[in-house]
Amino acid sequence: MKFMIFSDASDLSKQIMTYLRGKGDFFLYTTEDRPELLSYGATKVTVLKGDQTPESLSSFLSSEFKSNGFDSIFIASSVIGRDVASYLAQSLGLKAVPEIYDVSINGSNVKTKRYGLGGKVVLEEESDAKIFTFIPGISDDNPSGGNSPSESKEIQKGRVTITAVKPKKGREVDLEKASIIVSVGRGLGKKEGIQQIEPFVKMVKGELAGSRPVCLDYKWLSEDRQVGYSGRKVKPKIYIALGISGQIQHIAGMRDSKIVIAVNKDKSAPIFQEADYGIVGDLYQVVPKIMSYL
Amino acid sequence: MPYNIIVLIKQIPDLELIKVNPSTGEPILDGVPYRFENLSKNAVETAVRIKEKNGGKITAILFGNDKATQVMKEAYAMGVDEGFIITGYQESNPIITARVLSEKIKQIPHDMVILGNQSADSMTGLLPGMVSSLINEPLLSSAVSLEVNNRTAKISSGTEREVLEMEAQMPVVISVAQEINEPRFPPVMQIIAAGRKKINIESSQIKSESMTKLVSRKAPKSDRKRIVFEDVDKGAQEVAKVIKEVAR
Ligand SMILES: Cc1cc2nc3c(=O)[nH]c(=O)nc-3n(C[C@H](O)[C@H](O)[C@H](O)COP(=O)(O)OP(=O)(O)OC[C@H]3O[C@@H](n4cnc5c(N)ncnc54)[C@H](O)[C@@H]3O)c2cc1C
Ligand SMILES: Nc1ncnc2c1ncn2[C@@H]1O[C@H](COP(=O)(O)O)[C@@H](O)[C@H]1O
Repeated sequence: MKFMIFSDASDLSKQIMTYLRGKGDFFLYTTEDRPELLSYGATKVTVLKGDQTPESLSSFLSSEFKSNGFDSIFIASSVIGRDVASYLAQSLGLKAVPEIYDVSINGSNVKTKRYGLGGKVVLEEESDAKIFTFIPGISDDNPSGGNSPSESKEIQKGRVTITAVKPKKGREVDLEKASIIVSVGRGLGKKEGIQQIEPFVKMVKGELAGSRPVCLDYKWLSEDRQVGYSGRKVKPKIYIALGISGQIQHIAGMRDSKIVIAVNKDKSAPIFQEADYGIVGDLYQVVPKIMSYL
Repeated sequence: MPYNIIVLIKQIPDLELIKVNPSTGEPILDGVPYRFENLSKNAVETAVRIKEKNGGKITAILFGNDKATQVMKEAYAMGVDEGFIITGYQESNPIITARVLSEKIKQIPHDMVILGNQSADSMTGLLPGMVSSLINEPLLSSAVSLEVNNRTAKISSGTEREVLEMEAQMPVVISVAQEINEPRFPPVMQIIAAGRKKINIESSQIKSESMTKLVSRKAPKSDRKRIVFEDVDKGAQEVAKVIKEVAR
């Protein structure tokens, strides 16, 4: 088997390459010029420079696919990756199964696993799909050593013009490795709430995380601290959810936690269904109380 | 300058109300009401804000079933002018959905097509690119802000690593991210007025087919203890004990 990989996120590139190793030859196409990507066993690494819009990237990838005789395409599920996948599915006329976290390929029959109903269920499916988008967490990240040959290619400009690029701050934390996570939601009510919770986080030697509104909409915490379907998938020994309602997309990121503790002032909040221990109350009263017993 | 805007909206089962059959692990969908899909609401809000500033007309298209009138009425109440429900939706299959929606889009003069970047239930994230490709209009993807000026649309888009600012000439497809806005709650009077407005219902000419063969659809096992304290003091004591045991 000969696989094409496209990823604009190095952590996903590494996971996909680790996952595919031993299953066939794979070629990585990436927008990131990072030497460490050369030590994962790719037959070749192609760095894509120039236009970074999905339409332009996929028209290049589409012709690469045709001229190289690839069997299937693995794409990192990122903002750009999902669009690239849909363009490729259309232009190549191939079936795509999106957002998978597990796959086994047997000739033209492919078994995949992904979430359905917002993360409530796991869909195990069979298909003859050739394009897949992968969500984070499909595999560990193990370099194989060696040094893949690399080249760079210039992508031609398309109909969308990029007028400015501002890098985001790098990752601050490795939530995946934390043993206790204190996670705050919209129930925090205000940015200053973070400072009030920090002493508690310190006391339990935990890491601070948050729901999507807290990290993305209000920016009370940095984006790399978002837990959930479209954020980090974490499995600490204790996950403490403060003022988080427990909607399915959040649960999808913390479901594998060993013990879940929830504090919410609404007795009927769904988070209590996903918790081992719940306290109904105002987090600003409950947290100091817990601290007084620690 | 007034703009003609198409918004693509989806109805989904109310995810929080889906129960799981404890013996089979399968979701129970019978009787679960439908609601407005999250990102579709952000898409409508985006369109309405452009109309409020520039004038124009908003047309909503929904590929679903005849139970979708409630969602369309809500869209009317938010500010949508005309709505089309196309019936025949069976299950999430982005290729079919994109084809059905694109056929309809092509019949309606427009400057912009606005949709969500990833829907809350099926979460495929494939619709924006597929629609852009089928109607052959450029895609401005995952907008967290949008400005329109003189038939140019300009967005900021947050990827995992960067914030990109980009622009394209209309007609254009724009997918929006959840952070772009906080959808409005329309006032009661508007909801009542919307209830009287005509909804166009058509049936899809494209045959629905499954994207995959479903082998199993089950909720991951959850065997949480679910011990809930309403007495804060007692709860805090118990929780502190659990934390101390693990932190040791
Ligand atoms: C495609 C898609 C992907 C998504 N991905 C993610 C994701 O990765 N992560 C994520 O988190 N969300 C994600 N979401 C969003 C998700 O659907 C919810 O909107 C979000 O999780 C809600 O966050 P929240 O619980 O902080 O806020 P809310 O739902 O508003 O809940 C706030 C809670 O705080 C409680 N509260 C209020 N005040 C207090 C107080 N003083 N003390 C105690 N409790 C209080 C309230 O009772 C309420 O239950 C996604 C959505 C979509 C559509
Ligand atoms: N059946 C549908 N009818 C109308 N719009 C849809 C439909 N399905 C998806 N969409 C739109 O496409 C967006 C992304 O959906 P998806 O690609 O399925 O994750 C949604 O937020 C909607 O705006």
